[in-house]
Amino acid sequence: MSYTMFSAFEFKRKDTYIHNLDPRTKMFMTLIFMTVALLFTSIVPLLITFIATLIPVLLAKSVKEWLSSLKGTTMLLVFILVINSFVRDLNFAVAMVLRLIVLITAFSAFFLTTHPDDLAQALIQMKVPFDFAFALSMATRYVPTLAREAQTIMDAQMSRGLELQRGGLTQKIRNLIPLIIPLIVNSVRRAMSIAESLESRAFGAIKKRTYLYQLKLTKGDFLFLCFLIMYFVTMIYLKFYFPFTTWMEWKLPL
Amino acid sequence: MIEVADLWFTYPEGTIALRGVSLRIGDGESIAIMGENGAGKTTLVKHFNGLLKPQKGTVLIDGVDTREVSVAKLAKKVGLVFQNPDHQLFSSTVEEEVMFALKNLGFTSEEIKERTNWVLKFLDLEKYRERSPLSLSGGERKRVALASVLCVKPKILVLDEPTIGQDAKQKRKLGELLKKYQEEGNTVIVVTHDVEFASKYFKRIVVMAKGKVIADGPPNKVLTNPTILNESSLTPPQVAILSYEIAKKINNFPKDIVLFNDLLQEVITRVKR
Ligand SMILES: Nc1ncnc2c1ncn2[C@@H]1O[C@H](COP(=O)(O)OP(=O)(O)OP(=O)(O)O)[C@@H](O)[C@H]1O
Ligand SMILES: [Mg+2]
Repeated sequence: MSYTMFSAFEFKRKDTYIHNLDPRTKMFMTLIFMTVALLFTSIVPLLITFIATLIPVLLAKSVKEWLSSLKGTTMLLVFILVINSFVRDLNFAVAMVLRLIVLITAFSAFFLTTHPDDLAQALIQMKVPFDFAFALSMATRYVPTLAREAQTIMDAQMSRGLELQRGGLTQKIRNLIPLIIPLIVNSVRRAMSIAESLESRAFGAIKKRTYLYQLKLTKGDFLFLCFLIMYFVTMIYLKFYFPFTTWMEWKLPL
Repeated sequence: MIEVADLWFTYPEGTIALRGVSLRIGDGESIAIMGENGAGKTTLVKHFNGLLKPQKGTVLIDGVDTREVSVAKLAKKVGLVFQNPDHQLFSSTVEEEVMFALKNLGFTSEEIKERTNWVLKFLDLEKYRERSPLSLSGGERKRVALASVLCVKPKILVLDEPTIGQDAKQKRKLGELLKKYQEEGNTVIVVTHDVEFASKYFKRIVVMAKGKVIADGPPNKVLTNPTILNESSLTPPQVAILSYEIAKKINNFPKDIVLFNDLLQEVITRVKR
C-alpha cells in the first residue's frame, strides 16, 4: 500500500522525448505548473492546467505510474474534498482537489522521468555545492529502498501477531513502535555504512571536482521551454487582465 | 496440513513470482525449500501465514482458506521467521522481545512466563535474557528472532534462510533443534541455499526455479540429479560428489549417497568384504 505510492515517484528508465529533456527544463516545468496552480482557485483554469500537466505525462509514456501515484493519495484527496466543502463550498473543494492533482502530476512528471544522478548534475551546474547535490540524489535513491524495508518490517511484525488496527487511538499509536524502531535502527546502520564506504573511496579528497558529463540544453529543450512560456504568459494574462470573464468563473450546476 | 493448489502471484510492479505452484505438506514433515535467487521461495512461504493472499489458486491451512482469516489468527498456527532479524527486533531486552508475540496472541500471563522460559532455555539464550537484542552479534540476533516466533509453539514452523551468518557449531545446533522440534510432532519448513544443511536435517527437498516447483523428493534423489541441480543453480553436497566419483570407478557402488555416515558405512562394508 505505502510501497506503491513511493514507487510512483521512482525514476523509470525509458527513451522518450520527456525523459531525454534536460533536468533543468523539467525543473522549470514543475515550477511553472506549481505557480499557476497556486494562482488560481476556480475550477476552469485549474482544469486547463491539469490538462496541460497531462501532456508531459502522456509524452513520457508514464500514465500507469502516474495513475498509481494518484491512487496512493486518494485518501488525502477525499479528505480535502470533504473538509473544504464543509468550510467553504463544493466549488472551492473541487478546485482544491484539482490543485493538488496538478501538483502531484507536475512532481511525478519530474521524478518519474529524471534520473537522480542527472538531478544532482543539474543542481551542480546551477552552482549548488556538490555535497548538497550529492546528498539530495542519495536521498531520492533511497526512498524506494526504505519503502520496501518498511513493508518487510510490517510483514515480520504481523507474523508475530501485531495488528495495526487494534485498540483505541493511543493503542494504535503504540502499535507503530515495533515498526518505527527497526526502521530507524536500520536506517542509521545503513547511513553509517554508506558513510564508511564513501570515505574508503576517498570522498571529498579533492576540493575541485571535474565531471564526466556536462548537461547541455538542446533544440528539444528550447522548443519545450517556448511552449511552457507561452502557456505561462497566457495564464498570467487571463488572471490579471481578464479577471472577470464569465467562463473562467464557471461554477458547478448545483 | 498445508495444501497449495495452482498458486500464482504477481507483485504490483509486474514481476510474476509464482507461476502455478502446487504442493502438499503433511503434519510433522521436515522440508527444505531450495532454488536459485529470485525463484519465488520467500514469496511462497509468505502465503503460508497469509501475509500474501493468492491471486489465483488456493492455499489451505488445515482446510482453512488463508484468504478468509487474518494473519494474526494464522500466526498461532504458522510461525514465520524472516531472513533478517534486524527487521523485527525492537524491544529493550531479549525477554521482552520474546514476550511480544505471546502478548499479541492473547496468552495468559502464566503461559507467557512459562513459554518464555521454555524458549530461552531451548535456544540457549538464558544468559542474554536482560541484554538488549541490538547489542548481540549477528548470529545471536538471528536466534533471538527465532525465539520470538518459536515461543508461540506453532504447529508449523517456517524459517527463511536460517543458516546465514551462523558458524559451524551454531548451524549444527540449529539443525538438531529443528529436528527435535519436528520430532515432537510439528512441521518444520526451511528455505535455504545450504545443501549440506538441507540434506543432513531434512527428509524432503522441494526445488523451485522461476516460480515453479521443479523437483520434490528425498535428498538422495533430488540433490544427486544433475538436471535438477543445474536448473536451480545448486551445487551437490560434497558427499554426493564423492559417491558419484567412486561409482564411476567401482562397479555397482551407489551414486546417490548424500550423508557422510551412509557413505562411510558403504565403504567399510565393502572394505571388510
Ligand atoms: N516486495 C517485492 N516487490 C516486488 N517484487 C518482489 C518483491 N519481493 C520479491 N520480488 C520479486 O519476486 C521474485 C521472487 O522473489 P523471492 O523473494 O520470492 O525469491 P527467493 O526465491 O526468496 O530468492 P532469494 O533466494 O534471493 O531469497 C524476484 O524476481 C523478486 O525480484
Ligand atoms: Mg528469499
